Amino acid sequence: MSNRLFQGIIHQMKDAIDRTVGVIDENYTVIACSELGRIGEAHELMVSGSTSSTDVFVRGQYTYKPFGTPQHPEYTLFVEGNDPQASKYAAILSISLSNIKFYYDEKYDRSNFIKNIILDNILPGDIYLKARELRFNSDVSRTVLLIRVVSNNDVSVYDVIQNLFPDKSKDFIINISENDIALVKETKGSIDSKDLENLASSISDTLSGEFYTHAIIGIGTTVEGLKDLAKSFKEAQIALEVGKVFDTEKTIVSYDNLGIARLIYQLPTTLCETYLHEVFKRGSIESLDQETLFTIQKFFENNLNVSETSRKLFVHRNTLVYRIEKIKKITGLDLREFDHAIVFKIALMVKKYLKANPVKY
Amino acid sequence: MANLSLRNITKKYPGGVLAVSDFNLEIADKEFIILVGPSGCGKSTTLRMIAGLEEISGGELYIGDKLVNDVAPKDRDIAMVFQNYALYPHMTVYDNMAFGLKLRKTPKDEIKRRVEEAARILDITHLLQRKPAALSGGQRQRVALGRAIVREPKVFLLDEPLSNLDAKLRAQMRTEISKLHLRLGTTFVYVTHDQTEAMTMGTRIVVMKDGLIQQVDTPQHLYELPCNEFVASFIGSPQMNFIDAKLLQEDGVFYAEFGSEDTKTRAGVKYKIKLPASKNHKDCLVPYIDKEIIFGIRPEHVHDEEELIAKFPDGIIEANVEVTELMGAEKYLYTVCEGQNINGRVAPTSKARAGDVIKIALDPNKVHIFDKQTELTVTN
Repeated sequence: MSNRLFQGIIHQMKDAIDRTVGVIDENYTVIACSELGRIGEAHELMVSGSTSSTDVFVRGQYTYKPFGTPQHPEYTLFVEGNDPQASKYAAILSISLSNIKFYYDEKYDRSNFIKNIILDNILPGDIYLKARELRFNSDVSRTVLLIRVVSNNDVSVYDVIQNLFPDKSKDFIINISENDIALVKETKGSIDSKDLENLASSISDTLSGEFYTHAIIGIGTTVEGLKDLAKSFKEAQIALEVGKVFDTEKTIVSYDNLGIARLIYQLPTTLCETYLHEVFKRGSIESLDQETLFTIQKFFENNLNVSETSRKLFVHRNTLVYRIEKIKKITGLDLREFDHAIVFKIALMVKKYLKANPVKY
Repeated sequence: MANLSLRNITKKYPGGVLAVSDFNLEIADKEFIILVGPSGCGKSTTLRMIAGLEEISGGELYIGDKLVNDVAPKDRDIAMVFQNYALYPHMTVYDNMAFGLKLRKTPKDEIKRRVEEAARILDITHLLQRKPAALSGGQRQRVALGRAIVREPKVFLLDEPLSNLDAKLRAQMRTEISKLHLRLGTTFVYVTHDQTEAMTMGTRIVVMKDGLIQQVDTPQHLYELPCNEFVASFIGSPQMNFIDAKLLQEDGVFYAEFGSEDTKTRAGVKYKIKLPASKNHKDCLVPYIDKEIIFGIRPEHVHDEEELIAKFPDGIIEANVEVTELMGAEKYLYTVCEGQNINGRVAPTSKARAGDVIKIALDPNKVHIFDKQTELTVTN
């Protein structure tokens, strides 16, 4: 769309400026030019180490002026000639082109549209109409990732994410609140939660590694079409909230992997307390030490497999069996039996939930 | 000076998970120290606490002489490289390396100097104008390292930076990082779960498990003198053989006895491995007489060559070969003797084949004995 916009302006300027003028994009392709035949050509712009500067510079027979956002000039204007007059033309034209682009983007702000969808600020019927107006591809899959900045340090996390996902036609970065940023990422329909977690950890690692900023990331499910984006966003929010209770040590929480934690999170606290009293009579859970609880956790992680768990814990099989017997003696629950194991697992999660001081009801 | 001092460091998450417990470590200036252990052992958490990305629940952390528990990460003079680094796709290598400095408002000339210097160290000067899509995996990894180097920190923290690379590239980058450490002359703290990386790169290794330090030592010492069964099993590939045995003393000589002789049918065999007197250093074996012990031996000290069998007559057993693997320069034998798995790393010329019953000799001088209850080393 920008190409047509720029071409329109340059076409009108052609008679006023008796020189060849044009615009090249990031790939050094001419996207608009007073000589129509040159559109689509690769422009021989010698790039220097400081392409991100927006200053006027001269290379050979042309004067150049990059423009766009100050952090990331997406386009470069060129004017034939290397005299002061050419510099003036370049400076004036770039102001004009920047402004027209700014007003156009604002009017047809795709990012704003996505923001309205995920925040439920648009009627379902309007989504379809607006999507057509903005030429959105509604068949592709998208996933919402919610990035919550826990500890910040002067750096704009928004800018960093924007630079990690610069393709504005596919990925949208939206400021939700002071600490929350939503990333609406175009994904392949077949993407699995592991790939999404890798993507999230690359964001988290970049923020911590380069900018000393600690962020936790919630991942919603992948949805097709635009109207379900609100659902994916809410799931990402739930993932962060539930993760705060059950996965405190995790940086990345995927809605897909919440499992029964999501269910427990919605239970009335009185019911949870009753359940705990019934399962652990005489407060028997309190008498389990840290090492035993860790063993139980690993045993569950390894699908109640004694050999596998002992291997992972680097303990002898008999040591593990001894520990399981000890747990049985204290709690009356034999973790090797599925029914007992599930009762224990839920009880431990309920205990965690109550410990997180939820609203009592 | 960039020495680090971690004193009684503890990390407890709000949910009650104790990730790191009473961690004490002194890291000298310019040292290359490796934190190694299975996943979930607390090594990354420790690194993140050094970086300031995780709050320290208890204990004190000093960088140089300064207590930094409450110092913001950016003021700790450290740089980090993580496993899942992401490069900015639309920026050149130069801009990728300069981006962090630009956001910190570093003067342009200074940025240029630092980026060019880092590129020279990493040998990527010729790639500065390329975009990430035009780089190979190894080159991208170097750019990620470059982003840390331009910060000119006192301490480098690396969290499994090579995990995403394929095996060949990983081996190559291991050497590159070791060289980089020498060239930069700064302190490196490196986290990995891969014991090969730990053994080949570090000047000292910290082995962790369940949030606790198991042993801190040089690679050689860790391998030869593990302090417990866990360290013995974690360090070394293929891992050490562990055999349930009983310690006997006959006429002042110690034996490790294992096997499953059935008293009724007389089936099965009991083997007695004679232990050299040196293993009873300071009478350490005496409390274990007639008690169950774990008998450990590394695969390279299990022999099937005739001359070595003749050399160790006190350690001969018979075993069924289950699988053999020819690795080129050596051959792995996976055998079972009286229900216990014993793996050997022998010469590639070994004629043993799956299904054979062969004689193997365990070198008694290289035996490790562990306490069955505490899993601590009794003798090495």
